[in-house]
Amino acid sequence: MASAWCWSCLSRLRPTPRAILPPSAAIPRTTSAPFHSTAVQYANPVKKKGSLTQVKYRQGQTLRRKKKKNVERARPPAVGERKAQRKRIVLSNPNALEVEGMKDLSVETMIDARLRGSVLGLPVTMLDQLRAVQAFQPKQGWSIFRRPGTVMRRDAIEMGRLIAKISGDGEEAEKGKVVKRVLTGLKGSGKTVHMLQAMAMGFLKKWVVITVPDARELVSGDTSYTPIEGSKPTQYIQPNATSALLSRTVEANREVLSSLRVSQQHPALKDLKPSSTLEDLAKMGFSDAALAWPVFQALWTELTATSAAPGLEKDFQARPPMVVTVDGLAHWMKESAYRASDFTPVHAHDLVFVKHFLSLMQSGSSLKNGGMLLYSTSTSNSPASYSLEVALDQLAAQQKGVNVSSPEYPQPEPYSKPDTRVLDLFKPQKASGKEGILELQTLGGLTRDETRGYMEYFARSGLLRENVNEKWVSEKWSLSGGGIIGELEKAGRHVRAPAKTLPTVE
Amino acid sequence: MARHTPNGIVQAMQSLRISNSLASRPNIPSLRYATRKYATEVQPESATETVIATETEIQIEAEAETSMKTQKVKAAPAINFEKFNIAPARIIPASPSYFSGSPRFIDHVLRLEALQAKFAHLPIVDAAEAPRMAWLKLAQFRDFVGEPVPVKKYKSLLKILQSMNRIAPDMVPGEVRDSLASFLRPGNPYSTQHSPREVDEMGRARAKGKRKESTAVVQLVEGEGEVLVNGKSLVEVFQRLHDRESALWPLRCVDRLDKYNVWATVHGGGVTGQAEAITLAIARALLLHEPGLKSSLRKAGVITVDARRVERKKAGHVKARKMPTWVKR
Repeated sequence: MASAWCWSCLSRLRPTPRAILPPSAAIPRTTSAPFHSTAVQYANPVKKKGSLTQVKYRQGQTLRRKKKKNVERARPPAVGERKAQRKRIVLSNPNALEVEGMKDLSVETMIDARLRGSVLGLPVTMLDQLRAVQAFQPKQGWSIFRRPGTVMRRDAIEMGRLIAKISGDGEEAEKGKVVKRVLTGLKGSGKTVHMLQAMAMGFLKKWVVITVPDARELVSGDTSYTPIEGSKPTQYIQPNATSALLSRTVEANREVLSSLRVSQQHPALKDLKPSSTLEDLAKMGFSDAALAWPVFQALWTELTATSAAPGLEKDFQARPPMVVTVDGLAHWMKESAYRASDFTPVHAHDLVFVKHFLSLMQSGSSLKNGGMLLYSTSTSNSPASYSLEVALDQLAAQQKGVNVSSPEYPQPEPYSKPDTRVLDLFKPQKASGKEGILELQTLGGLTRDETRGYMEYFARSGLLRENVNEKWVSEKWSLSGGGIIGELEKAGRHVRAPAKTLPTVE
Repeated sequence: MARHTPNGIVQAMQSLRISNSLASRPNIPSLRYATRKYATEVQPESATETVIATETEIQIEAEAETSMKTQKVKAAPAINFEKFNIAPARIIPASPSYFSGSPRFIDHVLRLEALQAKFAHLPIVDAAEAPRMAWLKLAQFRDFVGEPVPVKKYKSLLKILQSMNRIAPDMVPGEVRDSLASFLRPGNPYSTQHSPREVDEMGRARAKGKRKESTAVVQLVEGEGEVLVNGKSLVEVFQRLHDRESALWPLRCVDRLDKYNVWATVHGGGVTGQAEAITLAIARALLLHEPGLKSSLRKAGVITVDARRVERKKAGHVKARKMPTWVKR
């Protein structure tokens, strides 16, 4: 059996001759572990820990900590400043190059098929109007160019021609038609900008433009609401939201509204003078939020009036067509965040504001003087609404000519409890007179030629430092999922560091 | 005492080897165990034995005659060897290797060795030229004989089979062919010829690709650079530009992005894995259309399969390799 003692330990037991060089006095000889194999006496002395452990005579032993210095920080932004920053819309970038020969959107250019694929600038005089109706959204990339402009894609030119026809350029039969559309498409396919183009064209043609830039605001429970007494089922007015809508409308359409005079009797508005303009009428609404809804109703009857009431024919002028846009339709297809008095959720269709704009979809109660109704779905900010999905499928099937009674006609899944109010809204309609039926317009990608025009605009603005040729364009077209314009914009604004060329010795 | 010890088998095998170590050595039947046809101890009547028997019989008869002449005693009737009136003393197994550990296996070996020796004179071809045969796998062979055959011994059997397989194909005797066929796996996998993939009559090239947990199937047709993944747009499936670029990289690197349409289905795994599975599938499908692009695609790194998969988690580890944090106590 092996010994428990190792040989070196045993040898240490024997009296060894003294080392030739005895360990210096500075190194204390440790004798606490005499049988250990390591030569402790030659190890470095144990270092003393920091001054904390060194207790001096008559000194307190309590733990002392350094106090944190209070760092002076900048004050947080004032209330509402962050939101303002977030929502701020910058329409110009002085560092971007000015594109030479860039045309403005005008009555002539908006129907010109030769300009397809080119970027047309929005008229500078119109920018305030567009801002007023909140046509621009943050993160749409307006701030990277010298001035805002939009591509004339196929859908835009088609819409321009439609607006021209409704205004009365061309055939008389087309004048005063009502076009109703639901816009769908992939994320970044340009639905909101398409509506912006509709608004701009409406302004060019001196139409009245009424917009709901964010449908969510009306159902998210952010604005005040009051029930209408005696209504069954109970309906709700949103005075502040209506007031904001009136102020938007007046700001943007001041020129048109100030030229039109009141032509109907409005018993609800006692203070209204019979000779006042529509602008004065609308102003009553946003000075007093409680009056906002009756004022809006009055304004709407005025704008849709085809003839004056008896006794008021003197100043009657024909009312212009209207552009009405709603962005984010899915928010209106479910129950809102508002609660009734018994704490049951209020359906979005019970809010009269929402109901008014949705009722325009249905035949009969639509725009009397013609115009265009655009409802856009959203892919980035849209709540799940199964009923709307089914309804849009049904709409697409109707457009294809599928019979409602045929088995191919899409139906909601059994037991899925679809919202019947939503499905009823999209029920098949019959075109009556000048009023068209509700259509579904799906925005796809740009074509290759349009893509090329769009990317050249980036290059000419000095943002893109690539050689825009057929090959490069077709590569970007494929990578952007077939010309999805939002993706193309990312490709165009993506600044790449140009490859450094090594200096050549000659 | 027939103990099933490995030594017994080894001895049996060694004895077999000794008797048959040289294929050219003529086998003398008398030196080998004679095969028995029935299970008795009595040896079968061989020609020499009968001769001896008749001689002794004659001698006995002659003696009997002389004694009869002298004593007049009636001789016993002649022994009928065809029919015994007593049962055999003990039952003897049919197989000589009965008392070895694996008699059936050894029987097979003996039979094959006998065949090998019998046809040792036939010309053989090179091993590479011999027809490729799918012999029974060890587990299958164990099922086949019903005995626990060790690996090494099965290998020695395979060696015999391989050497018999090398007999020139046009001269293989039917006996050899039949016995070799009994050792083949059912449904010879080497008998089917793989047809190389081609572009079909509709102009579609179909190819698969895998990466991580994802599997992609791509149909590539000539077109204008449209891409659908699972029936959706490329943008919907891959929101990150990097993934889109990597999915279409094989077309991009050879400037074919506007020449083909891609219709892909992909499932499993995550977004990056799916994108890279599509990369591989597109590259393979592109090779069916244009095989000449292989070298440039290889340079682009889209032909090489990345076979890495997630390493499994181990017991005692937090992940595959990570150890739990050291705690003093």
